[in-house]
Amino acid sequence: MNRLKQVRSILPFIIFAMILFLLWRGLGLRPNQVPSPLINQSAPEFSLPDLLDAKKSVTHKEFAGHVTFVNVWATWCVSCAEEHRALLQLAQDAHIEFLGLNYKDDTIAAKKWLQQYGNPYKRVAVDSDGQAAIDWGVYGTPETFVIDKKGVIRYKQVGPIDNDAWEKTLKPLVEKLRNERA
Amino acid sequence: MKKLFLLIILFVPLQLFAAEDIYRFTSVNDQQRFATLTTQLRCLVCQNQTLAESNAPLAADLRQQIYRHLQQGQSDKEIADYLVARYGNFILYRPLFNATTWALWLGPLLFLLTGVLYLLYYIRQKRRD
Amino acid sequence: MVPELGSFAIILALCFSIIQGVSGFKPFRRLLRLSMTAAIIQFIFLTIAMLCLIASFVMQDITVIYVREHSHALLPVLYRIGAAWGGHEGSLLLWCLILAGWTVAFILFSDKKLSQSSRSNIMMILGFISCGFITFLFATSNPFQRDFPASLITGNDLTPILQDPGLIFHPPMLYLGYVGFAIGFAFAISALIEGKLNQEWAHACRPWIVLPWSFLSCGIVLGSWWAYRELGWGGWWFWDPVENASLLPWLSATALLHSLVVSEKRQSFKGWTVLLAIITFTLSLLGTFLVRSGVLVSVHAFANDPTRGLFLLCYLAVIIGGAFLLYGFRIKDFYQDPQFELLSRETFLLLNSVILLTAVFTIVIGTLYPIILDALSLGKISVGEPYFNLVFLPVILPLLLLMGFAPHVHWKKQAAGLLWKKMRFTLFFSLIIAVLVPFCLGFEFSGLTCLGIFLSVWIILATVQYAHTLKQIELKHWGMIVAHVGIAIVALGVTVNKSYSAERQIKMLPGESVSLAGYQFTFVNVDEMRGVNYEAVTASFDVQKNNSIPERLEAEQRIYTAHQETLGKPGILVNPFRDLYLALGNGFPDGGWSVRIYYKPMVRWIWAGGFLLLIGGFLSLLSQIKKRDENE
Repeated sequence: MNRLKQVRSILPFIIFAMILFLLWRGLGLRPNQVPSPLINQSAPEFSLPDLLDAKKSVTHKEFAGHVTFVNVWATWCVSCAEEHRALLQLAQDAHIEFLGLNYKDDTIAAKKWLQQYGNPYKRVAVDSDGQAAIDWGVYGTPETFVIDKKGVIRYKQVGPIDNDAWEKTLKPLVEKLRNERA
Repeated sequence: MKKLFLLIILFVPLQLFAAEDIYRFTSVNDQQRFATLTTQLRCLVCQNQTLAESNAPLAADLRQQIYRHLQQGQSDKEIADYLVARYGNFILYRPLFNATTWALWLGPLLFLLTGVLYLLYYIRQKRRD
Repeated sequence: MVPELGSFAIILALCFSIIQGVSGFKPFRRLLRLSMTAAIIQFIFLTIAMLCLIASFVMQDITVIYVREHSHALLPVLYRIGAAWGGHEGSLLLWCLILAGWTVAFILFSDKKLSQSSRSNIMMILGFISCGFITFLFATSNPFQRDFPASLITGNDLTPILQDPGLIFHPPMLYLGYVGFAIGFAFAISALIEGKLNQEWAHACRPWIVLPWSFLSCGIVLGSWWAYRELGWGGWWFWDPVENASLLPWLSATALLHSLVVSEKRQSFKGWTVLLAIITFTLSLLGTFLVRSGVLVSVHAFANDPTRGLFLLCYLAVIIGGAFLLYGFRIKDFYQDPQFELLSRETFLLLNSVILLTAVFTIVIGTLYPIILDALSLGKISVGEPYFNLVFLPVILPLLLLMGFAPHVHWKKQAAGLLWKKMRFTLFFSLIIAVLVPFCLGFEFSGLTCLGIFLSVWIILATVQYAHTLKQIELKHWGMIVAHVGIAIVALGVTVNKSYSAERQIKMLPGESVSLAGYQFTFVNVDEMRGVNYEAVTASFDVQKNNSIPERLEAEQRIYTAHQETLGKPGILVNPFRDLYLALGNGFPDGGWSVRIYYKPMVRWIWAGGFLLLIGGFLSLLSQIKKRDENE
């Protein structure tokens, strides 16, 4: 019985210590970031009008054979403007192939924007009502999906691509994916 | 005068007028299901609110999707699965019962039973002595 | 000048809190007096600091960063005062001030019979708690930080949702509650240090639990009422992490209240009382942590900052970790074998503690589970209202049942047969009422509704029956009677409200009519008005039932001038048995408006019941003061 008493005495401290440890770990997490359930699944199928040529469509077949960055953006999104320079740089220096998804935007404004600030995208698909983006699990802008040669989503970047994200995560990932067979 | 009207009308994102915010249902049951579904799903933008309450454009879009699927005759589970496939379990305010959440669902009951049983056992034992 | 004075006052308060803590270390008379004097001076300086902050707001001193972030030139004076504690830094200053205030109250009003060594222990512990928090305040969250902007800036304005009288009362009332539990905590640590817990201790400690508990009950009720009026969906409890943070210490304190009564009257439950006192204050601090650290997403949470979270965590580790460690080593001196049988009032009260702590566990696990899974890389889930409603209820219901029995159960030993004989009629009568009332009133019949009504009626009748058995109902009985009836009324309000609420969401044009729950709502017109710092569109409705005289109901959509933020202000028609609630949504180009109408039966009873808890607590306190006066 004595041992039971000893356990009872120290139990509150042990429970408290566990909770404290949990909260300490919790400080390093980001509770409002939602992970994507689409990782390692084939990219959703879509067929959307091309921003720069209304007669053509952009479809998921674009992904075959090379690594693509699908970037969800809009002219009304402040963070997208901040990210834009980084995208141009990556398109030029690292030869990243960007497919833009223009989300719930005005096509005329979007075209003007690209003309004015530069176009990092190989192609831009127009998702004017946001329905296609729902299939991708988009909940904010900008978001970027990394698609491999087989058309499988391998990573999702929530928020703008900054230097940190590129050096630590995206660059090694791109190298790895480029070495994979199609 | 007119300016204020315009302000309130224009302040609301355009998307809310493309689709009517008020949904019409053919049956009370459907309306009930819509209400239940939207109040048990989490808005991903305004994460403290349910899809029913949130004014975020994404919430309006998702409400529209739910409405559309209801009209197509899909079941509650199918609609929930549709959203979970895209946004993960985060969107469910009512957590699923599975291998990772059994402690959450059964914990309180186990705690209560352990507490009560231990208490009764303890008193009985001590009185025997 | 004023902000510098404020900062300086905080530093001085810190110095005196250190003096207070250190002087309490040894129970010598001179040192104790020094400690108490230091505490009083600390309180004065913190009051000066708070007055400086309020002055900065009223004067619109935008060089103070905190004022700039939470105020605006057009903000009405009343809300400027409330804004002083509307943000993290100011609310933290309020926390420190209230802690100092409680310390002074303890110095002035505590039982004279309390031993000097207990007193100095308590002063020491309160001193260290103060010291830690003021350090936290000054080091990471000084509200008086200034910068001098190059151009003239107006403030960011107080978030429109906070521009409500609720802001003036709800936070201070809450803080009076859970900060007050620091004293109970100090009492518990003192008992552990001294290695004993006698009747003097228990008697002296009780008012310092009852009073914060009463304030916290009131604070929670105010929060619920404010959310109901403000958020536009007719809801009064959302299981939001910050709401949960205020409920947790309340549940634990309720258990503590009951355990303390036993400790005082029967010299029993000593170890348990000490543990509950520590747990209650731990939950207060945990709540403070959760709201400010960024660990959880919440609409109420202050600006999230992990560095502040880390500081608070270290503080928690030292103060609470130390407390539990001390408990672990010293508690064996407090263990007693139970002097009571399996069926006795003691057992009932222990069950009360077990159930309330289960409720605490439920809310804690629900609130922290997403963090647990995330930390273990098991994915991200959400735990919200559906979970809490489903799990919390089955835990609380047995408690409501036991509440009816408990006052009738004898101390030490109760014969089961006698108890049954005494209570069976009341039990059956309650059951019959629960089944008949919905039936007679023509409402829908549901098992859960009956259960809720049964338990409410049962508690009321059983409590009245208890009062009837007393030879003379004294003041001390009134406290318990009123509080228990209060709980029953809350249960009744919740049951009826959840079972019989109705709502409609519809687009209406002026002139149109819609009906809900037997009432006719006619959209009369839309008008515009101008407030001090907002412009509003007001929709007027006429509400009538069966051709009665129409009552006017107005709902608004406000646009606050400072940052063009919209906020809806619902219109509510109140009557003792129901609320009619109307929220105005968005306007359509054709002149129509989106309107949400709610029929909310007996929602006010929920808050009335909560308010009765405040009254019950005060009555109990009054009887304790009276007893003390009689003894002297």
